[in-house]
Amino acid sequence: MTEIISPTKTIDVKGLFCPEPVFRTKIEVERMGVGEILKVMADDPEAEEDISRWVNRIGHEMVSFTKENNELIFMIKKVK
Amino acid sequence: MTTKILSTKLLERIGDTPLIELNSYSNKVKILAKLEWYNPFGSVKDRPAYWMIKDAEKKGILKKGKSIIIEPTSGNTGIALAGIARLMGYDIELVIPEKVSTETKAILTNLDAKLHETSDDLCPKVGVGTDQSISLATAISKARPETYYMPNQYENEINFLSHYEGTGSEIWEQTNGEVTHFMAGAGTGGTITGVGTFLKEKNSNVKIIPVQPQKNHLIQGLRNYEESAMPPLFKKRESIIDDFYTITNEESFKTSKELFEKEKLLVGPSSGCVMAAAKKVAENINEGTIVVIFADDGRKFRSLYVNQNVFTDDEFEKALNEASMIEELPFNINR
Repeated sequence: MTEIISPTKTIDVKGLFCPEPVFRTKIEVERMGVGEILKVMADDPEAEEDISRWVNRIGHEMVSFTKENNELIFMIKKVK
Repeated sequence: MTTKILSTKLLERIGDTPLIELNSYSNKVKILAKLEWYNPFGSVKDRPAYWMIKDAEKKGILKKGKSIIIEPTSGNTGIALAGIARLMGYDIELVIPEKVSTETKAILTNLDAKLHETSDDLCPKVGVGTDQSISLATAISKARPETYYMPNQYENEINFLSHYEGTGSEIWEQTNGEVTHFMAGAGTGGTITGVGTFLKEKNSNVKIIPVQPQKNHLIQGLRNYEESAMPPLFKKRESIIDDFYTITNEESFKTSKELFEKEKLLVGPSSGCVMAAAKKVAENINEGTIVVIFADDGRKFRSLYVNQNVFTDDEFEKALNEASMIEELPFNINR
């Protein structure tokens, strides 16, 4: 059974170019509480690497990442 | 904090800054400093900021009540753009590196600018410091071209022109054509290439010498071209450069302090950096007239100077009271 992950907040950064998606992600994560989940929807192909790397570097958790057609969906859990 | 009321008359005061001889450093070789903090918003950046906005208005790119000006900046361009945009009826958003001094951030907010702060760990592939800001400002304006206009001081030919037609010709007139060496900090390249090109056209023997800070530096407004990309504006006219100096943080700060002790000038760190290199140039020539650009004064750098042990807080307070050649600014500087 797949665990259903429900985000605390969702941001849509489709149509924005890197590094703006990672910038918007950072701002939202900083505003959230530890344990909360942010869903980010993006369509700039570079966002995949930029956001994943930022999440790893800062030490948050990428709960899931999916890519369908051109849409990228990140589920990021704030760890600290 | 109270916001000072700005008058459009301030715009008429851009340029025509004083050129003074630094008597305690001059003998056979004269060193003259162009005091760019006499510009109404306190720095050399008033020149390109005003010229770039006027140019975009003339070209119909900027529309009052609709356009937002966005620019990556480490401080002074932001202050100049924010002040000037407000006077000319435009909203302004600035992308700044988070290490920008607290005083500068307070001034920008006081001038009604919206700030986006970037950090080096955001997207390392685009570089550090202002490279992060350039990248983000470009992305924001690219996604919304009808709203945002980015003057882009690193590439905008009007930045070059503001110094070619303004600063360069002023220096030529003020020295009666006697200038032999011109030195300015390496940032966007606008000042060094604009003034340099003008002076070379008047006298091809004038030496054009940019000064860069060390890698991992603390000198707001300047760039080390080994760690940060060389801006297109600089690269385009690199052939006019005769020599290049690299100065450490320590040398820059020491010279800033010395300029106060010897000349009662309270300068910003980039002026200390340029002056440290000018002293080296002066030691190696027998005669001549070196003109240096002092881009801003030291009032915004209290926290930096105190943190770096350049001045104690008491010494800085004393310097503020004793400093000569200080102009009133149209904004408050709070810590």
